[in-house]
Amino acid sequence: MPYDDLRSFLDTLEKEGQLLRITDEVLPEPDIAAAANAAGRIGEGAPALWFDRVKGFTDARVAMNVHGSWANHALALGLPKGTSPRQQVEEFARRWDAFPVAPERRADAPWQENSVTGEDVNLFDILPLFRLNDGDGGFYLDKAAVVSRDPEDPDHFGKQNLGTYRMEVIGRDRLAIQPVPVHDIAKHLRIAEERGEDLPVAITLGNDPVIPVVAGMPLAYDQSEYEMAGALRGAPYPIATAPHTGFDVPWGAEVVIEGVIESRVRQIEGPFGEFTGHYSGGRRMPVIRIERVSYRTNPVFESLYLGMPWTECDYLVGPNTSVPLLKQLRAEFPEVRAVNAMYTHGLLVIISTAKRYGGFAKAVGMRAMTTPHGLGYVSQVILVDEDVDPFDLPQVMWAQSAKVNPREDVLILPNLSVVELSPASQPAGVTSKMIIDATTPVAPDVRGNYGTPVKDLPETAEWTERLRTLLANR
Amino acid sequence: MPDQTNDQPNDRTLPAVCPRCEHDALTTVADSPVPGVWQVFQCARCLYMWRSTEPARRTRREAYPAGFRLTAEDIDAAIEVPTVPPLAAR
Repeated sequence: MPYDDLRSFLDTLEKEGQLLRITDEVLPEPDIAAAANAAGRIGEGAPALWFDRVKGFTDARVAMNVHGSWANHALALGLPKGTSPRQQVEEFARRWDAFPVAPERRADAPWQENSVTGEDVNLFDILPLFRLNDGDGGFYLDKAAVVSRDPEDPDHFGKQNLGTYRMEVIGRDRLAIQPVPVHDIAKHLRIAEERGEDLPVAITLGNDPVIPVVAGMPLAYDQSEYEMAGALRGAPYPIATAPHTGFDVPWGAEVVIEGVIESRVRQIEGPFGEFTGHYSGGRRMPVIRIERVSYRTNPVFESLYLGMPWTECDYLVGPNTSVPLLKQLRAEFPEVRAVNAMYTHGLLVIISTAKRYGGFAKAVGMRAMTTPHGLGYVSQVILVDEDVDPFDLPQVMWAQSAKVNPREDVLILPNLSVVELSPASQPAGVTSKMIIDATTPVAPDVRGNYGTPVKDLPETAEWTERLRTLLANR
Repeated sequence: MPDQTNDQPNDRTLPAVCPRCEHDALTTVADSPVPGVWQVFQCARCLYMWRSTEPARRTRREAYPAGFRLTAEDIDAAIEVPTVPPLAAR
């Protein structure tokens, strides 16, 4: 059964042993962020964290690290918690093919229980806001989905965008927002600002576990995230109409914040510790004026710690970055077996591929850099053979150490595009890129001495099963 | 010598200056729902926001890390992201 809201997913996490309730009283800072940071340091299978005794608050309910392990990511997709990362990516890719799945409109959304409007809006009354990292300029909403529409085509359902953008609380009813120029909301904002108009937005906080996955996915401009959510969960996605903007928002959200991005206004924002493991900011960014907040009684405030990887952010954007690249590469090169784009949102990508002829793998690497996501992210590609699992880093390191002849197999390409947040870019937004071809050369590329590889013995697969059974039955 | 950057002074009186940019126009944005536990302050110039119970490295000018400090010049020189486009001709 797919999850219609965050609460039902938290129940499942708890039943599966993947939710840890912190029963001691904690300080809002630095405890909540430090605990979520620590969840990324205790190894595989880290749980989500729940806090409800936060010093100074009377009704705080805070959920952190909800997607912060492979176990939790698997459960978010309705898979067994032991599903491997590679299997999760393959299943994600399989479900992608069901896109688009039309959403289901529902009435009586739980967030209709309470609302405040106009001058009564005060986020501090509703949310237990807190800081994540030392250098952050303030308290952030960093796991919310922001819904906006194309002002020139407001009735186009697919062009309605739902995306995750960092938002800094800069007042009781004001947020600063980072719409990176390559993102869809920046296109909506540019059209509105060219007209001198505000851009209405609906921000949904505390969503079911599929929304954060699709909200961070590089879909085409006119592809609906709700229709992708339906494909991923295997059932129509439940939406409801937000009362102030009329936008389509998740039926099961904890909180729905509505307002406008004020036209042609910029204010200082940040810094904020980003997915690159470095701070970005302070820059002058657009500002949201909040006009209405609707919320469930006793709302759960969900946030995400990010900093030096790995953190929850890396699990959340690992598969949803790998799958679009896999789909786009396979469309032209069916030889591509698997794509691991889980390192810093795909700044580094590992691709396993069969080869048509000598030089083929390097061409696959170049194509990865010219996909829509590749233009802004893919800066290093490691190519491995079809029998090397790109999710198995020791295997990848074996391939690189044994099969790379650096002068011919490492290509450096100067002056290419990358996101400005990439800390290595110089100037910001421009970088050199690298292809490491760790595949076995094939004709007419006859370099090296690869004629006699040592293969696993024919009986090894049977013995693998036998050992596993013996171990399990001890 | 003890590391004072981890002290938690919980000084709930409005500070004299912003820990980050040293501006003196500050406001109280929020009081703890449990009375008297903490307050949230904000600088009118750099918009820095902090809670009185945070460690000194986030709340005290003298302990605030040099790498995160801002000046009026930094704020004036901050780039716009995204840039405001020209108004379309009507």
